[in-house]
Amino acid sequence: MTYSIVARCPRTGQLGIGIASYSMAIGLYCDGAVRANTGATLTQGFPNPRNNYLAINLLALGRTAGQALTELIGNDRHSEYRQIALVDRDNNAVAHSGANLRKWAGHRIGNACVAFGDGLAGQQVVDAMAEAFEAAAPAGLDEQLLAALEAGRDAGGIAGAKGRLTERSAAMIVWGNRTHNEVDLRVDLHDRAINELRRIYVDYKPSIAYYEERARNPRNAIPAMEFADMLKNQRQKETA
Amino acid sequence: MTYSIIARCPRTGRFGVGSTTFSMACGRRNESVRPNVGVSKSQAFYLRYVDPLALNMLAQGYTPQHIVRTLEADDPDFDYRQFGIIDRENNVVAHTGPGCGKWAGHTVGPYYAAYGNGLAGPQTVAGIVSGFLKHPDAPLEDRLLQALEGGRDAGGQASKGVPRPERSAWIRVVDQLDHPEVDVRVDLHDKTVAELRRVLEEFKRYRDYYKARCAHPSEAIPEEEFAAKLDAKAA
Repeated sequence: MTYSIVARCPRTGQLGIGIASYSMAIGLYCDGAVRANTGATLTQGFPNPRNNYLAINLLALGRTAGQALTELIGNDRHSEYRQIALVDRDNNAVAHSGANLRKWAGHRIGNACVAFGDGLAGQQVVDAMAEAFEAAAPAGLDEQLLAALEAGRDAGGIAGAKGRLTERSAAMIVWGNRTHNEVDLRVDLHDRAINELRRIYVDYKPSIAYYEERARNPRNAIPAMEFADMLKNQRQKETA
Repeated sequence: MTYSIIARCPRTGRFGVGSTTFSMACGRRNESVRPNVGVSKSQAFYLRYVDPLALNMLAQGYTPQHIVRTLEADDPDFDYRQFGIIDRENNVVAHTGPGCGKWAGHTVGPYYAAYGNGLAGPQTVAGIVSGFLKHPDAPLEDRLLQALEGGRDAGGQASKGVPRPERSAWIRVVDQLDHPEVDVRVDLHDKTVAELRRVLEEFKRYRDYYKARCAHPSEAIPEEEFAAKLDAKAA
């Protein structure tokens, strides 16, 4: 009922996740999933809400992604119901798809990334995600994450007992080397959550630099309303 | 151009934040709430590193009052910052610098702070507080949402006398565990506070199911079956 990508950008060292689900507010379960200079992880399927924190703490201790995954499985009597992925700062990417997940469930490990999901239309969903992720590499990690989600959706996405189920929520998170995220966008309840995430991202992306600059240099800042109008005008010109 | 409420539930000790603003995706500021430590939510011309720093200092044992002095000493643009901090002992502080624009201000209560900038006037903050206090026995997430609704209904945001829309909104409540109890967001919407109400109400219908599915996966029914049952019950 959920598909995700967990990744590190080997070029920039950014870490991130992209996720879409039939469940609502899936971003809530991504809390603690990414930490700068440490790693990125997700547990889904029948998630274990402690796992993100434990996984990141293990990576922060210095364990590799593979060692941390072994620990997570050993720590959880329901590990056959969990689907877990980790990427560490050395680009090690690992995953576990428990035997009791809803079918189809599985993962595909790529270059410093894992595409994985459960309750899906089939293997083609995670394959399409991994391929779109790698193809979008020149565009940067946030674009890659979104491209992977869109490819997963277009390859059939989520399948319930009576056929396709819509993505009702989605989220994307990217961290650089700061003590806070660079991008953290959510759609919690929507008929087309991935389309909505793309809409929000397109509007949000140009404002990142604006908000950073405004904080550093408040005396000369353009008001937020003015900045939003500038963006709108610029977009109208581009589409005209 | 933002208004927020931070609080520690006097009954349960849970921490929470509710926030809404013209800017997009205000809920990305999830570094502002830390279980068993406190809340530090900065806004106006905020520096992202301030909230993690303040929470690290709270975790070390500093009081919110001391942390404010530390932040001020280290920031030549302190006059442009607005923030509130609350700790585990209900120590609450708020700061609204004179550079935060008109109208900006805050109210500090015994276990909460309400504050905003780019508002219609002091009535917005008064509306947040009266919404928050309306049902003191309600769960914290409901009180936070009523606070945001109260702020909106009292006039919300305005710039040069012209009302300005809220485009994103967020509620987060943490208990003793690492992961949040409630974290619902609307990142870009024309009627964002009303949409947040819709999302929170829907989340409350699913919350127990999601918890049980994590803890007892072998007994969980498929989510689409659960959703169909919910719909049948509502019909």
